[in-house]
Amino acid sequence: MNNLVFLVPLFPLIGFLINGLGRKSLAKQAIGAIGSASILASFVVSIILFLQVKSSGAIIANYFNFIDVASLKIPFAFQIDQLSSLFLLIITGIGFLIHLYSTAYMTDEEAPHYARYFAYLNLFVFSMLLLVMGGNYVIMFIGWEGVGLCSYLLIGFWFKNDAYNYAAKKAFIMNRIGDLGFLLAVFWLINKLGTVTYGEVFANIGKLSHQDITIITALLFVGAMGKSAQLPLYTWLPDAMAGPTPVSALIHAATMVTAGIYMVSRSNLLYTLAPATQGFIAIIGLATALFAATIALKQNDIKKVLAYSTVSQLGYMFLGLGVGAYTGAVFHVMTHAFFKALLFLGAGSVIHAMHHEQDIRKMGGLKKYLPITNITFLLGCLAIAGVPPFSGFFSKDEILAAAYEKNPILYFLGVAGALMTTFYMFRLYAMTFLGKFRGTHEQEHHLHESPSAMTIPLTVLAILAVVGGFIGIPEVFAKDSHWLESFLAPVFAGSKALTEQKVSSHSTELMMMGVVTGLVLVTIAITWNKFSKYEATTTEETGLGKVLENKWYIDELYNAIVVNPLDALAGFFKNVIEKSGIDGIVNGVGTFINYSSRQLRLIQSGQVGAYILMMVLSMLGILLLWINDSTIVHFLHKIF
Amino acid sequence: MPIQYYIYLALSLFSIGVVGVLTRRNAIIIFMCIELMLNATNLLLVAFSKMHHAVALASNTATQVGIEGQLFVFFIMVVAAAEVSVGLAIIVMMYRNTHSVDINFLNRLKN
Amino acid sequence: MNAIILSALCGVVMMFSGILLKNKSAIKYVAIAALLVLIIGNLFQFYGIYTIDIDSKGLLSFDRTGLFFNTIIFVATLAYFILSGSDIERAGPDVAEYFALIFFVLCGVTILTSFNGLLMFFIGIEILSIPLYILTGSDKKNLKSNEASLKYFLMGSFSTGILLMGITLIYGATGSFGLQSTTIKSAVTGFSSAGILAPVGLVLLFISMCFKVSAAPFHFWAPDVYDGAPSVFTSFMATIVKAAGFFAFIKLFAAKSEDFGPGPAWKLILFVIIVATLFIGNITAVFQQSVKRMLAYSSIAQAGFMLFALYSTNDFTKDGILLYTAAYSFATIGIFSILTKMEDYSLDGFNGLSKSQPVLAFTNTVFFLSLSGIPLTAGFFAKYYMLASAIKGGGSLSLVIIAVLFAAVSVYYYFKVIQAMYFKEGVAATNTPITGNFKVALIVLAAIIVILGIYPTALLGFYYF
Repeated sequence: MNNLVFLVPLFPLIGFLINGLGRKSLAKQAIGAIGSASILASFVVSIILFLQVKSSGAIIANYFNFIDVASLKIPFAFQIDQLSSLFLLIITGIGFLIHLYSTAYMTDEEAPHYARYFAYLNLFVFSMLLLVMGGNYVIMFIGWEGVGLCSYLLIGFWFKNDAYNYAAKKAFIMNRIGDLGFLLAVFWLINKLGTVTYGEVFANIGKLSHQDITIITALLFVGAMGKSAQLPLYTWLPDAMAGPTPVSALIHAATMVTAGIYMVSRSNLLYTLAPATQGFIAIIGLATALFAATIALKQNDIKKVLAYSTVSQLGYMFLGLGVGAYTGAVFHVMTHAFFKALLFLGAGSVIHAMHHEQDIRKMGGLKKYLPITNITFLLGCLAIAGVPPFSGFFSKDEILAAAYEKNPILYFLGVAGALMTTFYMFRLYAMTFLGKFRGTHEQEHHLHESPSAMTIPLTVLAILAVVGGFIGIPEVFAKDSHWLESFLAPVFAGSKALTEQKVSSHSTELMMMGVVTGLVLVTIAITWNKFSKYEATTTEETGLGKVLENKWYIDELYNAIVVNPLDALAGFFKNVIEKSGIDGIVNGVGTFINYSSRQLRLIQSGQVGAYILMMVLSMLGILLLWINDSTIVHFLHKIF
Repeated sequence: MPIQYYIYLALSLFSIGVVGVLTRRNAIIIFMCIELMLNATNLLLVAFSKMHHAVALASNTATQVGIEGQLFVFFIMVVAAAEVSVGLAIIVMMYRNTHSVDINFLNRLKN
Repeated sequence: MNAIILSALCGVVMMFSGILLKNKSAIKYVAIAALLVLIIGNLFQFYGIYTIDIDSKGLLSFDRTGLFFNTIIFVATLAYFILSGSDIERAGPDVAEYFALIFFVLCGVTILTSFNGLLMFFIGIEILSIPLYILTGSDKKNLKSNEASLKYFLMGSFSTGILLMGITLIYGATGSFGLQSTTIKSAVTGFSSAGILAPVGLVLLFISMCFKVSAAPFHFWAPDVYDGAPSVFTSFMATIVKAAGFFAFIKLFAAKSEDFGPGPAWKLILFVIIVATLFIGNITAVFQQSVKRMLAYSSIAQAGFMLFALYSTNDFTKDGILLYTAAYSFATIGIFSILTKMEDYSLDGFNGLSKSQPVLAFTNTVFFLSLSGIPLTAGFFAKYYMLASAIKGGGSLSLVIIAVLFAAVSVYYYFKVIQAMYFKEGVAATNTPITGNFKVALIVLAAIIVILGIYPTALLGFYYF
């Protein structure tokens, strides 16, 4: 079975190469087929590997020594265990659906760009697979950088638009800030342990001091903050919506942004040993969840709402990690991948129908034109809002329950965020699908349901969003019903042994579930009622509404405190230090070397006699050096 | 005779060779000076060989210690012969083209 | 033993092939076939399959490092034959003799990788050198070729004299030509300055080897000879011969360096020589207008890097010298094979090559990048290993810093060629039509360099397993 492992990333790589190299000659159908088939093939292999892992445990496939310098050996190895096999299924499964969807969504592109799109998308899947399959932090880092690159390429896919390029650059730079943290953590590990292989790191964890673990975990988390869009590095994600919608669904909702969660749960043992970092993660996660939710309340761009919702949900996942609910966080990654991909694809379907109109104030009443999209979108909303028995309910509940055990304040704030989630999601749904159509007549004339290549993925994802939660039914309802927890148990066993289990009584938990569900249903009812009758108004928002609509002015704040001072500093460096200082030195060195070269050339006089004379003199010099070494050495040692 | 006499003689011959190489302009004479250097080493090798042999002989009459020095001399002579044949051919080739064997005219390649 | 005997036999075969075959390219193919036989014969011994066993009375000893080095050298020669074989055909009328002489040089190389005493060392050096005097002067009507040949011969013989004096003094002091004997014999102790014989001998030996590998200040022959010799043979001399010289140098001094004692003088001498070599090689190369002469100086500069292997001997050193040999030889052979095809050897002759011959320009760029040690090429890891060995062996950090600075200078003159090929207008003319096979061979060579740059253990893996 080991020999199957490398096939998983190989197929997307082949797809990337074919589409990338043949982009000028391949027909569109072929491009779409190659792009999707490569991911499907990976998916099939992933299923086989998953079954293998399920029956006989983790697979570690060593291929060759990637870096072999002195005592440091970094193998090129893949580690397929419960955690990564789950992620493999999510990445390749949802990836395939989104590729399929893209074949129809991107059909207006010309063939070379169409191929470029699929090539990037395949490359993304390849990098993402490296990220989750890597058997050590270095391979993970390769994937980590690879997905960042693909994200950049795909956000700027329509590179003729300056604003999109700007968004792409922003995403890349924000990610780089985080990556630096990751890289420093890896160096720290190498320095302290001399290995980056997961198994060896966790086995030798005792050699690390408490301080080391805290620093390493904090640095790794900085990496996660960038990649998974947490405060304060989240601002790139909403802007990343400049990319094609399927890209937003795959990269900026279902997979890449969850890399941070994967990384933290992969390093769970380290984090469990660093309570300070864990507390920090919980606070950042919760703050992000709430903060992004408030912004989403007032956004009018269908994709921006979903983007902020993603940031907010990622915050929940980090809250889960922060309170030690690793299974819950992974569970939420999975369910979130289902319903958020569904919502994004649904939004894509709407945007497709509306001819690239994204403002929900100009929509409304789409229910009768887009029946399948409507139903699936509604199911997605119910799932994200956490209405039982949809998938979001189970995963969110698990995180919140863990938060309650840690600290009730975390729990209440989390619930507040969940209610806000419900509010903005149903505001979105109602403004888009209910009420009267508020667009132009021409748009209304063209409204149509999307082709089957788009609706099939929607349907599949909707089913998953509805039933996906049943793999993790809480203990409250039935004993040993939490299949996911027992499946992932080997991965988190080390952490679990270290933490004392504090279980709140079943009645409390049931009561909390009941209250939250009730509140959610009430919020749905209010929102439904309010926004299905939405009429476009021209009055400008005031007070808090305006602040929220402008996303708390965070971008402006960053511009004022980071970007502008940096610009000014850069201007100073460029105009003063570089021009007169560095250029002067560099040119001076260049001139000096040129001058010495011209002079030194003359030693080579062309006369054999002179050459031999110089050789003899040098020989005598060396003999002298040899005989009188002590004094000369003494003198030279003073210099060097 | 003490060994240092041989050493001084050989080193003097060697130095004469080196100085000759440095001061003469005729390629053939320079070449002869180089041969002088080689022969100085030959002489020294034979002297050393005899010396080591004599020391070993004192304790063991059947010893062959020291003969490798004289063996080396033969190799040097063979190699020197090969060098002479190649070297003279090069000098002849040079002479054909420039009608001179003065090394001071060798200055097309420089800098 | 296989390689020594086979290479000498191959040389004889090539001489006869010149009588029997009138077709020049047939001779080339015979040479390639002979070289393949040589490679296989050497691998037979490397893997212990079959060895021609002749009792050398301890004069020769074979180890894996030497046999592996032979293999690298032979493969580099194969690349050289494939890429530059047709240029050898054009070098003069006596094609078969040139190939024969090259095989005799290879015979010298194989002796230098297996000597076990100063006698075989001396013989190896001479077998290596004498054919080169002939090859340098093979363009008989060209005054530059004549001049280079005579200069090389005079200076080479002079250094042979120094070498022999060194060996003699060591023999006088120790009574043996063996590598390991370090005890000063009592016979000379009567002589008042007896203790000085062995060290002075070693210094003389060291100086003559510095001459062979063109380390400053004994490098003066190299620019003129490399410039004057026919370009095909310069390629051979600057790569294979020089690498073999280095290998012998290191093999000899790894065994002999104890004689210098642990004192700092030994390191000091090397320090001075390395810095001087890097300085003269790199700085003088900057101002050269002829690419061929620039490469001659660059080969001096590269010698400075290879000397690091002598500075400190540790586990990096052996890997380093093997990798450096491969990286440097392959890249330089590639560059020279392109250079010999050019109509004009000056920098301007390369103007606009990327337009007229994109494959040549691209592969040439890869070769130059490797020489300057840019990552993702073999040259990077080669330099890395060398510097690492210098740091690791309790070496000198200041030396490494100086080396890195000069490596930066080297980027400047290497990139001048790349700049000419890609960013200057012009019509770079070639003197013969470029065949498809030649391009394919170049691409393969460039690919090898890139593979070694990504995965250097690919090469060393053969050595260890």
